[in-house]
Amino acid sequence: MSIRLDPNLLPDLLTAVQQSEQNMNIATQQLASGRSVNQLSDDPAAVAALVGNHDRAGQDDQFVRNVSSLQARFQVADSTLSNVVTVLTRAVTIGTEGANGTLSASDRQAVAGEVQGLTSQLLSLANTSYQGTYIFSGTAVKTQPFTLNTTTNAVAYNGDGNTTSVELSSGNPINTNVPGSQVFQNGSGNAFGALQNLNAALLSGNNIGAAVTQVQDALSQVSTQRVFYGNALNQITLSESFLSQEKVNLSSQENSLVGVDPAKAASDLVQAQVANQAILAASGRVLSLPTLLSFLK
Amino acid sequence: MRDSILDLRVNQETQQQGKLNAFLGSAQQIQALFNETSGTGLQSSLTAFFSSLSQLSANPSDLNVRQGVLSAAQNLAGAFNQSSANLTTVQRNVDLGVSQSVTQVNTLTAQIATVNAQVAAAQLSGQNAGPFVDQRQQLINQLSNLVDVSEIDAGNGSLTLTTSSGAPLVVGGQSFQLTTQPDPTNGLQHVFSQGVDITTELTAGQLAGQLQIRDQEISSLQNSLDALASGLATAVNTQHKAGFDLNGAAGGNFFVPPPASGAGAASSVTVAISDPTKIAASASGAVGDNASANAILALQNQTMISGQTPVNFYSTVVFKLGNAISSAQTEQQSGGLVLSQIQNLQGGISGVDINEEAANLIRFQNAYQASAQVSSVINALLQTTINLIP
Repeated sequence: MSIRLDPNLLPDLLTAVQQSEQNMNIATQQLASGRSVNQLSDDPAAVAALVGNHDRAGQDDQFVRNVSSLQARFQVADSTLSNVVTVLTRAVTIGTEGANGTLSASDRQAVAGEVQGLTSQLLSLANTSYQGTYIFSGTAVKTQPFTLNTTTNAVAYNGDGNTTSVELSSGNPINTNVPGSQVFQNGSGNAFGALQNLNAALLSGNNIGAAVTQVQDALSQVSTQRVFYGNALNQITLSESFLSQEKVNLSSQENSLVGVDPAKAASDLVQAQVANQAILAASGRVLSLPTLLSFLK
Repeated sequence: MRDSILDLRVNQETQQQGKLNAFLGSAQQIQALFNETSGTGLQSSLTAFFSSLSQLSANPSDLNVRQGVLSAAQNLAGAFNQSSANLTTVQRNVDLGVSQSVTQVNTLTAQIATVNAQVAAAQLSGQNAGPFVDQRQQLINQLSNLVDVSEIDAGNGSLTLTTSSGAPLVVGGQSFQLTTQPDPTNGLQHVFSQGVDITTELTAGQLAGQLQIRDQEISSLQNSLDALASGLATAVNTQHKAGFDLNGAAGGNFFVPPPASGAGAASSVTVAISDPTKIAASASGAVGDNASANAILALQNQTMISGQTPVNFYSTVVFKLGNAISSAQTEQQSGGLVLSQIQNLQGGISGVDINEEAANLIRFQNAYQASAQVSSVINALLQTTINLIP
């Protein structure tokens, strides 16, 4: 005698139909969303990794924004210092002319006046601000860094000697400023003092050569400090390309974590459809099978 | 025909399915709250908060940037509050479900007690108890979906039903009601049997699944969110108080300090300052200094909550939740297969096959016809015999 089977086939058939419909659903959802992981329980490890991935990508986006805001600031500082170099170079030229003794006293007075003009140009350059903050006042960015005392003719530095640093990628901070005291009133070269001495020397006709040397010292000091901004600009360009590379890596990681293989999803869908139709057709056949009763007349 | 071993196995599997279905039903609502695949979960708010600090580091004196930091912090606090409130809502709904399940259990046990008495009475009087036994078995199966049931044969065909931990449900013709009472501390319903709290002793059935998600899964998620919110708020406050604001004054609390225990931190965390100049970005007091902003920003990569960075801690929380749901789904699927196998076996024994019954019908019909034929022959013989008598 054969084993007695469950005469009620419906639960098994329904389970099979539901299973194939679920498979169709999953494949459709994957194709529609472009992701193989649509909810947390689909792949908890991938979603946990995705949290870190999105966090890194968000940080990188911000770093890129920081890069562009710093880039603008650095460019302003760099071009300001380039103008300062022009001013000081002009002062050296004037001073050298004054020192060779061919100028008359009145001519020297006139060029001394030009030096005076250069001094005030230098002052306004040193007080350059970008988006409401002074570039050369250390961290006291709301304080005008250099002021001229009109009675003593001395230029005082009101900023501080501090620097700031900003992260441009994780754990990679970059210094963002050089205090004005270091650029313009350094021990090895004081731009304001040198120009004023040159002015006085031209007026008096004495020690013009020494004053020119002082201006040259100040010029080389400014050039040295300007290198900082040049380097910083290079560094942020490097950071920028590093960040864009990292973003590419992160998005390809995201794709491998939760992305879908469209060809596979499409063939899954077709497979599930075929299975579904087969089960429905089979169910129709089985359920409409005649019983013994149909033959009893 | 019944196979009592198969009946028991069906009931056991039904209990497991009941538990897993209840667990998954609510767990799927919860995982929608932590849907990090679409990037709408807590992570985006966390990252945005630290991004705003990074921007502050690049522009420490810019008021717009400072306002941006405050907005991002408010968004983060809001995301914590919202997640916590959503969890509480799910928890309250499940709690309501617990009371309803208990009511259903009580209805079923009362019905079973009645039928149980009928089975015993029928057996004592020697009548056919089959229909009552069938009905009782069906009711026990329904009860198995709700709660873990143990059956003990009490003799005379009567059954004693208890929970697997031994709390009585049905003894003879009497049912023992389960009751619920709210927990005085959190207002969640506890399940009592005969005055004894059996909430933690229920191991299977819908009721156990509801209790598991309410008391373990949601509580553990709330605790994790609280730990994250309070750890972050405390660390940010500590750094913030070490700095100076735009006016050169020492920084105060950035977030309203969370309770020392951390309990309820996620639901209550708020930003303490509304004036953007009060953000202490400077470590020296100079307006252009950003060292304090950098120090707060550095918290992003500091292991401060259970030895993990904030985002790593959160991703662990997400992973644990997803893993619990995913393994419950696997268990539910395999349990479902087992259940349908056993039900097939049961059907093989108890099911009614039309062909078989039709064949039997013909067999009995033929026997009846044959007997009738015999009767008619005997009748004819008798007639003949009687007619012989003049």
